[in-house]
Amino acid sequence: MEALFFNANTGFLEGIVRGYKAGILTQSQYANLTQCETLEDFRTQLSATDYGNFLANESLPISTSTIADKATEVLVEQFKYLRTNAVEPLRKFLDYITYGYMIDNVILLITGTLHERDTHELVKRCHPLGVFDSMPVLCVATNVEELYQSVLIETPIAPYFRECLTASDLDDLNIEIIRNTLYKAYLEDFNNFATTLGSPTSDVMHRILAFEADRRTINITINSFGTELSKESRAKLFPAIGRLFPEGNNQLAKADDIDQVRQICENVSEYRSFFSETPTGASSSADDFGAMAARLEDRFFSTEVELNKQAFLQQFQYGVFYSYMKLKEQEIRNLTWIAECIAQDAKDRIQDFIPIF
Amino acid sequence: MADEYPNPFRSEQMSLVQLFVPTEVAHDTVAELGELGNVQFKDLNPSVNPFQRSFVGEIRRIDEMARRVRFFASQIEKEKDVVPIRPLYDSAPLITVGPRAAQTIDELDVTLAEHESRLMKMNDSYQTLSERAKELVEAWHVLRETAVFFDRAQGQQSNIRSSFDESSAPLLQHDEAQYSTNIQFDLEFVTGTIERSRIPIFERVLWRVLRGNLYMNHTDIVEPFVNPATGEETRKNVFIIFAHGDALLAKIRKVAESMGATLYPIDSNADKRSDSLREVTIRLEDIQNVLYNTGLNRRAELVKLGENLRSWQDVVRKEKMIYETLNLFNYDVRRKTLIAEAWVPTRDITNIQIALRHATEESGTNVPPILHELRTHKTPPTFIRTNKFTVGFQTIMDSYGTAKYQETNPGLFAITTFPFLFAVMFGDIGHGFIIFCGALYMILAERKLARLDLGEIMGQFFFGRYIILLMGLFSMYTGLMYNDIFSRSLHFWHSGWLFPESNSTSLTGVNTGHVYPFGLDPGWHGADNILVFTNSYKMKLSIVLGVTHMTFALCLQLPNHIKFKRPVDIYANFIPQMIFLQSIFGYLAICILYKWSIDWSKTTAEPPSLLNMLIAMFLTPTTIKPELRLYPGQGIVQPILLLLAVVCVPWLLITKPYIAWKEMKRIHHQGYSGLGEGPRDDPDDVLEAEEEGDGRAIVEDASEEHEQHDFGEVVIHQVIHTIEFCLGCISHTASYLRLWALSLAHAQLSEVLWTMTLEPVLGPTSLFGWVALILMGMFWFSATVFVLCIMEGLSAFLHALRLHWVEANSKHFEGGGHVFTPLTFADESAKE
Repeated sequence: MEALFFNANTGFLEGIVRGYKAGILTQSQYANLTQCETLEDFRTQLSATDYGNFLANESLPISTSTIADKATEVLVEQFKYLRTNAVEPLRKFLDYITYGYMIDNVILLITGTLHERDTHELVKRCHPLGVFDSMPVLCVATNVEELYQSVLIETPIAPYFRECLTASDLDDLNIEIIRNTLYKAYLEDFNNFATTLGSPTSDVMHRILAFEADRRTINITINSFGTELSKESRAKLFPAIGRLFPEGNNQLAKADDIDQVRQICENVSEYRSFFSETPTGASSSADDFGAMAARLEDRFFSTEVELNKQAFLQQFQYGVFYSYMKLKEQEIRNLTWIAECIAQDAKDRIQDFIPIF
Repeated sequence: MADEYPNPFRSEQMSLVQLFVPTEVAHDTVAELGELGNVQFKDLNPSVNPFQRSFVGEIRRIDEMARRVRFFASQIEKEKDVVPIRPLYDSAPLITVGPRAAQTIDELDVTLAEHESRLMKMNDSYQTLSERAKELVEAWHVLRETAVFFDRAQGQQSNIRSSFDESSAPLLQHDEAQYSTNIQFDLEFVTGTIERSRIPIFERVLWRVLRGNLYMNHTDIVEPFVNPATGEETRKNVFIIFAHGDALLAKIRKVAESMGATLYPIDSNADKRSDSLREVTIRLEDIQNVLYNTGLNRRAELVKLGENLRSWQDVVRKEKMIYETLNLFNYDVRRKTLIAEAWVPTRDITNIQIALRHATEESGTNVPPILHELRTHKTPPTFIRTNKFTVGFQTIMDSYGTAKYQETNPGLFAITTFPFLFAVMFGDIGHGFIIFCGALYMILAERKLARLDLGEIMGQFFFGRYIILLMGLFSMYTGLMYNDIFSRSLHFWHSGWLFPESNSTSLTGVNTGHVYPFGLDPGWHGADNILVFTNSYKMKLSIVLGVTHMTFALCLQLPNHIKFKRPVDIYANFIPQMIFLQSIFGYLAICILYKWSIDWSKTTAEPPSLLNMLIAMFLTPTTIKPELRLYPGQGIVQPILLLLAVVCVPWLLITKPYIAWKEMKRIHHQGYSGLGEGPRDDPDDVLEAEEEGDGRAIVEDASEEHEQHDFGEVVIHQVIHTIEFCLGCISHTASYLRLWALSLAHAQLSEVLWTMTLEPVLGPTSLFGWVALILMGMFWFSATVFVLCIMEGLSAFLHALRLHWVEANSKHFEGGGHVFTPLTFADESAKE
């Protein structure tokens, strides 16, 4: 049934987004990009892709941050076009996508204020999709209560904040807890919302969000080793969705070292490969641990890309919009990485990006 | 074949040429060829990345220059008072060829950079100054507006006091006087300006942060603030917030600053306020003076830029094209010369040679570029020379598909068939005349209109002005045939019908035996059975026209088969198709003509229905029912024709595959096997190329040409072709009935319009009648132009288009060519 009326409201936008998706850089384009000697080459090469002349009016020399900014701008333009043309419930779905960015911005601003950075500079660094009107005022607040009461109460992410009102002062650990609590609430809420949208959308979105939740759970666990975060409060930060939920989450809450995490993850066949090349034995030294975390991060990203690519295999669902945003974000990360490698002349690591198509 | 005089019947003969250009003259040569505009260069390094090509450095430099020129253009555009831009044809040309070319470009580069930095500096100082001015203006507004707040507050204070006064003891009078002066010092406040759109959110946030402990007042600043760099307008408000306590005030300041407000400290003392207002006014005047001067300087600079802008844009565009073309070239081994391959019209080779020599002379060297023709098996691009008259028709046919190289060009015949088929549907002298006049105006004002930017819709009409002209002319002719002018008829000669006076309600015409010499007898006009008559007439006419058109289109196959030396296709395709078409529909057309030529009132038999006759021809070929008898001997002719048509189907279906199969068999028999089946020995090819040296094309797209003549493919293709043709004949003939349908619709619509609007008010007797006539006349005329001429015209145009694309082109058009896209500077320059 969903196929019957889907196109009436969403057919156009789905077409648009699939068209956008066709513009995502391919393997051969990446191959060309990695051969560039300078950032000017990089620009010339990019002008042959869907990005077109987006850097043409930049005066030389261009910096990697300009490239990332401009690429994000392109993405934001596309997203805004989609959002202005969307009707309910897709509109709401697209709004949900922005909530994630809002959370990031809020955290960025609080952290920045805590470290006494300049507000305007911070506002400039915020992701344009997560901007809301009263955002700059966040810098004024000194504790969570005030934060919530004065600014966040009228934003859509206010409900997520209710959970963390207990934490009183703003310090680095608390902010981290707030971020994770927010994300937990956000993911769960998004998941519920996806359920209300019915079958094909919810199927696709549940798959993606479940992975997102699991990734957070694992990251929280690994990052909390050796910090003062207690095991109970750690358990509270785990999203109550995902493939690992509930027994995996319970076990992770009790885990003490990376080996236990690996054992727990091996219960899910798709996650087994994440830790596969970890050197055997728990006696991993500190830098080894770091390398493994980086490798893990890369694998997370490539799994995410894989899942998001799969979303495009199914029609008549909203998952494509979310997936497109995520894929494009990954692409911008890739571009920035390659550009950075070119700028710093680190050609040996230039291949360490995650190709999408 | 080379001496064949080029004509629009086929696309131009093309040659693949190789150019050896010494590096020194490469730039000038390409510039010269670009001006000439009939050389299509081939990419000789398709595998090389764009940034690894030889002239990337130059392209980058040009890009940078282009960026600067764009920057100037955008600055000029943003300027509110229009800066005059001298058009290209007025500006002195910048010579970028010849021995001084490099220097010119260098100089231009430097000039652009200088101008850019100067303009940037000016923008900067202008911006800082206007920023300062803006601040002062804001401060001035803050001072003025807050004064109003204070005054009002004071007034209210005294009101409250006085009312309190009356009911209170007079003892307090002293206190009161003291209080009313002190009240301002007691309350502390923050003043500043903020963007208007942020006011509500600002208020809400403040209210929440301070838990309602504030009094805020704000008022609009009427004039918008304009950002000089971007030209954006922002509107701001002055606000004043009263609150109590340092902590709260600090909070307010912080919130305000984070919301992007600008705070201006002012004094609560009225005297000090007026002092600072005066001071601000003076400073504002000073700064505005400076600002005005800076603005004048900047404008002068922009005007200077405007004088050269167009020629810079032109040079930059051309240079970029030149270097992009040079990037397609290949270096020879010693890197002394560049090698280019290009498609050129064979006829123009001499011109190109002259251009090359000219380029050499210009650049002052004596090493001329060498051009020589290559032999190739590749299909050359399709290039059909057009002029402003034929280009419209050619475009119509090209939008269906690009013709194969040297194929019969349907665009040539469309020049007459297209307007004619249109006119059959649009036949009306008056309407034809209106569109004829419209087109005539566009043609007469051609030079003027071509310069203007007409927009998408008008531009289309302008582009098709010659088509419209012919359509108008032909419509007038068919209108004459239908005897229709705005749905009325013309009496040129005496009608063949006489309507005797009688008192009965219906008049019956009496034939005088006189035949109306040209077109439809006006006696039909207004008769009860006019529809019956015109329907039958137009329907038959459209069948006759359709069969003629299709037969003609089918005949266009013949030159193709002869040209491409495919005798098999003549007797395996053309002849059976022709027989099939003629034996059924050709016969029908002849029957129509025959039936028209007989005076049925003088014969004993009833006129047979041709439709039933045709159906009966299929169902009962041998027996002719008496009511369907048209001529003696019908019983023999019809079965023979049917038999012919039936034979044609297997003929069409089998012959070609059979011949292909026999050919294959013969080759196999002689012991050859298909080349494509084994691996092609490319190494040999390459070796050969090296040995032969320069006589061969460097890049041979191996995949391009070698179409495998697979037997299975031939069979399938022929089956599809046969089915398509046989069914197509029937449906296409029926499709031509649209000629009748549209013509009928057009005539009826225009008649309805006439009777509904103009007819009742004709022959006015009173003043009111005249007014009604004028009003209705205007309405009638505009409806005629917009509904009947434009809308109906578009619909008839569309149907004529379809008849050409589907019904006619399917009979002969092969297509699959690629368009000749030469390097030319002429394009687009008009647009910019």
